[in-house]
Amino acid sequence: METNLVVEGVKFMFLGMGAVFLFLALMIVMMNIMSYIIHRFFPEPQPIVKSTVVPEEDNRKIVAAITAAIAHHRQG
Amino acid sequence: MKNSIIKLFALFLLMGFGALFANEVQAPEVAANSTHMEETYKAQPFMDMIDGFLHSTGISALMEPRADEMNAHGEPISDFHKSWGRVIMILITFLLFYLAIARGFEPLLLLPIGFGGLLANIPLAGIGGDNGFLGIIYHMGLSNQLFPILIFMGVGAMTDFGPLLSNPKTALLGGAAQFGIFGTLVGAVALAEYTPLFDFTLKQASAISIIGGADGPTSIFIATNLAPELLGAIAVASYSYMAMVPIIQPPIMKALTTDAERRIKMTTLRHVSRLEKLVFPILVLVLAILILPDATPLIGAFMFGNFLKESGVVDRLSDTMQNALINIVTIFLGLAVGSKLAADQFLVPDTLAILLLGIVAFSVGTAAGVIMAKIMNLFPGHKVNPLIGSAGVSAVPMAARVSNKVGMEYDRTNMLLMHAMGPNVAGVIGSAVAAGILISLFQ
Repeated sequence: METNLVVEGVKFMFLGMGAVFLFLALMIVMMNIMSYIIHRFFPEPQPIVKSTVVPEEDNRKIVAAITAAIAHHRQG
Repeated sequence: MKNSIIKLFALFLLMGFGALFANEVQAPEVAANSTHMEETYKAQPFMDMIDGFLHSTGISALMEPRADEMNAHGEPISDFHKSWGRVIMILITFLLFYLAIARGFEPLLLLPIGFGGLLANIPLAGIGGDNGFLGIIYHMGLSNQLFPILIFMGVGAMTDFGPLLSNPKTALLGGAAQFGIFGTLVGAVALAEYTPLFDFTLKQASAISIIGGADGPTSIFIATNLAPELLGAIAVASYSYMAMVPIIQPPIMKALTTDAERRIKMTTLRHVSRLEKLVFPILVLVLAILILPDATPLIGAFMFGNFLKESGVVDRLSDTMQNALINIVTIFLGLAVGSKLAADQFLVPDTLAILLLGIVAFSVGTAAGVIMAKIMNLFPGHKVNPLIGSAGVSAVPMAARVSNKVGMEYDRTNMLLMHAMGPNVAGVIGSAVAAGILISLFQ
């Protein structure tokens, strides 16, 4: 009996697409697990956030400047 | 100046005649000690020598092909393939030069391939034959599939898996686009079965349909493995269509999506830590080892290059892979593929079918990626812009750029490039897996 090539091709198609999706689906699952583990147990050291708090002295100067500006605005 | 040239020419003539007479005098002596293995040189009349020279010119070889001239494999070839076929092929290589230089079609590969094709079609010289330098390069690294693997290493060292890692589910789009390969496989065998014109075996059909993977090295890897006789046409089709991605894809993408879908904005990608990027290549390789060892030559080389890059401690090696190594191999790969553009192998009806099936494979892959994105949107979760589905065919980074460009046409602020890189690199893995399956099926 002569083999029908088209039927063979369709078999290839189902097997091939099935395997590609299986592989990628497993890859996605593994990637999610890996990311979870890494974020849970090996978090990247966060760069130390430089304190942006301005010293008290500067703060007062700024407040003074703003007050002056508002006063100036209201007058003008 | 003119005088000195004439003097020089006269000197040459004199020397030429001197040599002629010297030979005539020496001839009997050589004949005497015939124990020598060398063939004795028989004195020839000068007119015969001129005649002989005229018969060894390219013009005469093209006009009146010699009956004893064989192709690269020592098989007899038809007169057409020795004469006009070669002229046509040389003109085709000129067309490749034009496309590469003036239109910017993958010049890095089409120029070496085109020039290799030009050299392989020279009559009498046999450059593409076993002893010609193109033939030597072919046997050195293409017939044993070394070059595509080395290219994969370099591509791995250039790939950033960050976008994929930050949105893993887009890998499915890279899988769906592989339908271009398997859908076309069915189409090719159907053509062979139901039309009298083409006659493909299952192996040949598989080698042709891998063009749908839109991945040059993978196509070459599979073609040398399953159908080396079709290599030239498959490689040329594969690289030409990859260059034509910006022309082929947008109409398909627009036809399959609605205006609202094209404007979908995707959530910003999260930051991916260095450790994740470092573990990823090993993870994929382990999966390949467990599920599909036949795909490990390609995936192994790919992940090796990527691992060295992400390790961050061997910048010298990763730099060599990304630049020097991949450049050298590209030259050799192009020339070796070009040697398969000899007229007797390329000017056959099969080539036409390959070019036709190749573009079908590309279009089907693009469409499958877009449709998969639409299917994913039916499920709850973050919406996916279907335009990035087309990037699932590999063609890194061209396909991702096309997604970005089409997206921007509808919403200037919608940046899809990084989102499209995810399916794009997943497509490379997907086509390597598909290649592994095709190889395993024929064992």
